[in-house]
Amino acid sequence: MSYGKFTTPAKNARGLGSAKSGTEHHIRQRVSAIALIFLVPWFMFSIINAMGAGMEGAQAWAGQPLNAILLILTAGAAIFHMRLGMQVVIEDYIEKTGTRSALLILNSFACIALFVTVALSVLKLWIGAGA
Amino acid sequence: MVQLTLPKGSAPKKGKTWPKPQGATNLRQFKIYRYSPEEGGNPRWDTYWVDMDRAGTMILDVLFYIKNNIDPTLAFRRSCREGVCGSCAMNIAGQNTIACTKGFDELPGGVITIAPLPSQPVVKDLIPDLTNFYAQHAYVQPFLKTVTPEPEKEWKQSEEDREELNGLYECILCASCTTSCPSYWWNGDKYLGPAALLQAYRWLIDSRDEATGERLDDLEDPFKLYRCHTIMNCAQVCPKGLNPAKAIAKIKHMMVERVS
Repeated sequence: MSYGKFTTPAKNARGLGSAKSGTEHHIRQRVSAIALIFLVPWFMFSIINAMGAGMEGAQAWAGQPLNAILLILTAGAAIFHMRLGMQVVIEDYIEKTGTRSALLILNSFACIALFVTVALSVLKLWIGAGA
Repeated sequence: MVQLTLPKGSAPKKGKTWPKPQGATNLRQFKIYRYSPEEGGNPRWDTYWVDMDRAGTMILDVLFYIKNNIDPTLAFRRSCREGVCGSCAMNIAGQNTIACTKGFDELPGGVITIAPLPSQPVVKDLIPDLTNFYAQHAYVQPFLKTVTPEPEKEWKQSEEDREELNGLYECILCASCTTSCPSYWWNGDKYLGPAALLQAYRWLIDSRDEATGERLDDLEDPFKLYRCHTIMNCAQVCPKGLNPAKAIAKIKHMMVERVS
């Protein structure tokens, strides 16, 4: 928000006041980061191992229950963390309220769509493996 | 707001090269940012040659040498000349600091640039307009707030509690940290910046202050506090060796503590 040339410095510094929020975002970002500390190394290690057995081997690996659960958790934590991070980047760099709101909504939609796609793909492999 | 290029009329152009002092054997080249609102036009980089044998030991001495011997129109702020008042904060060789405690021996090789603190409006030459910075400092209410009636003699504090204020109370409000922070460059109208937040923490942690909750309320905001992304420029440049980023992290800890 910007004001005219006769507004006082205090008016500018106070702005719209404190939103009394931001702590939840901070906690979520930290907690998802903690989850990723464990999930990402597992994911990297496993995916490299699974790739050695070719396409069918990789499908079989992802179809195992524990692997499927961990895969969905990894995707969930990573995409959730990414959404929070992208939100901060948009808030940092986009000043225009309309553009910023539009991009924040787009960010949420894109992240949800990405997660649903990954989760359903893994579920398909899991259910397919059981059939 | 992010501006990757300078606004129209703000990009410095090549300025005047002032004559070398005669008879000097130990010359050093300085490029100094010059801008005068009366003259108008773009700012410019003027080149000065300074006789380092006659200039003293600190960058502030260089500025005085130039003002006294070469160009009396050069404008800069200074007062205490010993790192207490914070008036002479500027960008020296690409790093914000105070000119009075920046010694020749700390300078990198080559031409030394001296510019006003970044991202702030320029009043003249090396003098920035810090109005917004001071207003943000006032926003954190940097004074003791209590509800208990004032004791007859004084508010007491244990030695341990007093030690908590070390590394915080020494801030001289020179604005080196705040104007070195990229997050402040982009969102300085809303983000309070490292100096104001360091002072906020100084009062949050004061054992005598009774307004901790209200202070946290006023800070809990995605922009006022949480624009700090731990870039650490603040701690890198602080001429008093303080660590505002650490103070901000501690404010965030207090925020988490009261919700969990």
